[in-house]
Amino acid sequence: MRGRFGLSAALAVSACALVVAACGGSDSSSSSSGGGGGSSSSSSGGVTVTGAKVIDPNSMNSPPKGTIHYCQGKDTNGAAHENVKLFNQKYASQGYKVVLTEFPASADQQRAQFIQRQQAKSNDCDVFSSDVIWTAEFASQKWLYDLSPYVSKFRAKYIPAPLETVHYANKYWGVPASSDAAFLFYRTDKVKSPPATWQAVYADAAKQGGIVYQGAPYEGLTCDFLELGFAAGGQVLDSSGKKSAFNSPANVKALQLMVDGIKNGSAPKAVTTYMEPQTDQAWTSGKYGYMRNWTYAYAADQTGGSKVKGKYAVAPLPTFEGAGKAGILGGHNSVISVYTKNPGLALKYADFTASPEWQKISLEKYSSAAILNATYDDAGVKKAIPYAAELKQALGQAKARPVSPVYPQISQAIYKNVNDALAGRASPADAIKKASDQINSALSTF
Amino acid sequence: MEAASIGAGASQRRRSKGIPERRLAVLMVAPSMILIAIVAVWPIIYAIWLSLHEYSVRVAGLSRWAGPFGLRNYSNALSDPAWWAALEHTLIFTVVSVALELLIGLAMAMAMHEAFRGQGLLRTVVLVPWAVLTVVTAIMWQTMFVSPYGFVNTVLGTSTVWLGSEPQALIIIIIADVWKTAPFMALLILAGLQVIPGEIYEAAKVDGATTWQRFTRITLPLLTPAILVALIFRTLDALRIFDLPYVLTGGQNGTSTLSTIAQEAFATNRIYGLGAAMAVLTFIVVMVVSFSYIKFVGGNIRGLADD
Repeated sequence: MRGRFGLSAALAVSACALVVAACGGSDSSSSSSGGGGGSSSSSSGGVTVTGAKVIDPNSMNSPPKGTIHYCQGKDTNGAAHENVKLFNQKYASQGYKVVLTEFPASADQQRAQFIQRQQAKSNDCDVFSSDVIWTAEFASQKWLYDLSPYVSKFRAKYIPAPLETVHYANKYWGVPASSDAAFLFYRTDKVKSPPATWQAVYADAAKQGGIVYQGAPYEGLTCDFLELGFAAGGQVLDSSGKKSAFNSPANVKALQLMVDGIKNGSAPKAVTTYMEPQTDQAWTSGKYGYMRNWTYAYAADQTGGSKVKGKYAVAPLPTFEGAGKAGILGGHNSVISVYTKNPGLALKYADFTASPEWQKISLEKYSSAAILNATYDDAGVKKAIPYAAELKQALGQAKARPVSPVYPQISQAIYKNVNDALAGRASPADAIKKASDQINSALSTF
Repeated sequence: MEAASIGAGASQRRRSKGIPERRLAVLMVAPSMILIAIVAVWPIIYAIWLSLHEYSVRVAGLSRWAGPFGLRNYSNALSDPAWWAALEHTLIFTVVSVALELLIGLAMAMAMHEAFRGQGLLRTVVLVPWAVLTVVTAIMWQTMFVSPYGFVNTVLGTSTVWLGSEPQALIIIIIADVWKTAPFMALLILAGLQVIPGEIYEAAKVDGATTWQRFTRITLPLLTPAILVALIFRTLDALRIFDLPYVLTGGQNGTSTLSTIAQEAFATNRIYGLGAAMAVLTFIVVMVVSFSYIKFVGGNIRGLADD
């Protein structure tokens, strides 16, 4: 008896290993029933999404009265609260209300939370603030309204690059809400004017204490690498979107520059463990001459015990010698869940977030990059945001990351192998080739 | 024979209504068995079911039987060098961390067992690392080892990239785990120490046994059952290590484990079949280890229970 108890206890303990996997289990049988617009079938480069619900752009003019829920990551600076408050003030008299649901701060957690709700066909999130890299995946799972009729009407007012991030299979699956791009931060007391090329930046960094960036194995490194890779003329996928085009001399050259940078002391070897917080920590210590980081750091790194307060400026990312310039687009899109009961009101809210009125407040007060061209020409914005011109330029040269339902795997292939090369475990050529092979096998995922 | 028939007669007299005792037992146990089935057995069956299928990542709702005998997910996992690397890291982590935890836990338990002023306070303080959430532990150690400005580099005067190098990253994960769980080990061993009767030591002293002899001839043999229970718990836990590598290194630099790669396949990449297959493989590894513990040391556990 006792022996058997010991055995079943061992069974129970080891069973826990399985529960992790089981509780996230998906029953992803699709349901195409339910009204709310017609159906669409679309394709591009062999990619198709059929049977998606299509939004009626006029439905937002006088949707049924009611309340909808807007979900996004933790509202760290209060912007979402103000956004919802303004919408509710404006439309309360007409009987419309938006309630904010905050997800965890981690991007992975936000994605997981939304996916769980969609798999359960829940209408917890009528509108979701989707990171620009998730849109294709959600669309291919038929979790989103096809917003093409609405977006097409206003195409001209958006900055083109953010619009690309909602474009998948020839349809628009979201409304751009905010954008982002990286800057080259440089110390004005050490560097007179920022060098024009990446090569010059790395060369000068060796004399000015170094350049810090995000080199840890995570999504941030995919961005940091592609900024150089794209500028050098590299690609990730070929034009059909079905095959890897990653193994190219341009990408190898870009990676070689980063690897040499660590070898020559242009960048500390520790960058291979840096995400954004560690990068800020290093930069504000005052030791480094250059930093690659997102726009948020401009304001964030002036605060606290920063030793670089008032001693730095920003520039759009430089050119890759003999090639062009690039950048990687960040930001969020408002996407509308197919399980919403009030698509009209959901669209009305997404439209409000993309309105000139909100975009101006969002940039001026919360330094979140606007997605409308016009916002950057506003006199108030120019006064409040000293780097408004550089930001518009940075967004202009930025590109979207590959839009694919298997994007997480593509990104892993890039950041794991690039990190291996930076840490000296693989040569740049081998790392790029291995990443390319892994991208191809990711693309053949069932 | 005699005793058995008397017992049966007595029980028949008690149950005049006539539910046989055996069936009554089944009925009374049934609710908890059903609960266990729902909570423990069903998820396992479901995970195995998932592991035999492929669920499309690109087309909504599309799924199929996973190839020959439904085992394609398993063959994919086992033919991936990443799985074997994760197995290697997991086993190294388990053996080294559990061994260190045992030694340190034993020492801590011996110290806590001595009667002295402030004993209660010491026992509480020692438990603090165990009470801290693992993720918080991980962030704390990350802050200490961050390069080049972390506490460790400052004290040592170095600029080593601890978390970005092999095998340093795995060593730090082991240190963090030992720091956190040695107190747990100590507590289990302390419980075992406290049931050893003091008279045995007194008798040994009278017979002239040295401290070392008392430790090796009395304490250790009588402590073996408690140590084995503690070892089983820690080993099974260590084989499923996830949070420390996830936070400290993201599974890079030779720190991927069976659980981190299963989580990546299942949650990040949403390849449910492969992720479930990896979880089942982890389950099998854990089962093999549990069975061997019970096979090789089962007698000792029974010995403890019989005491």
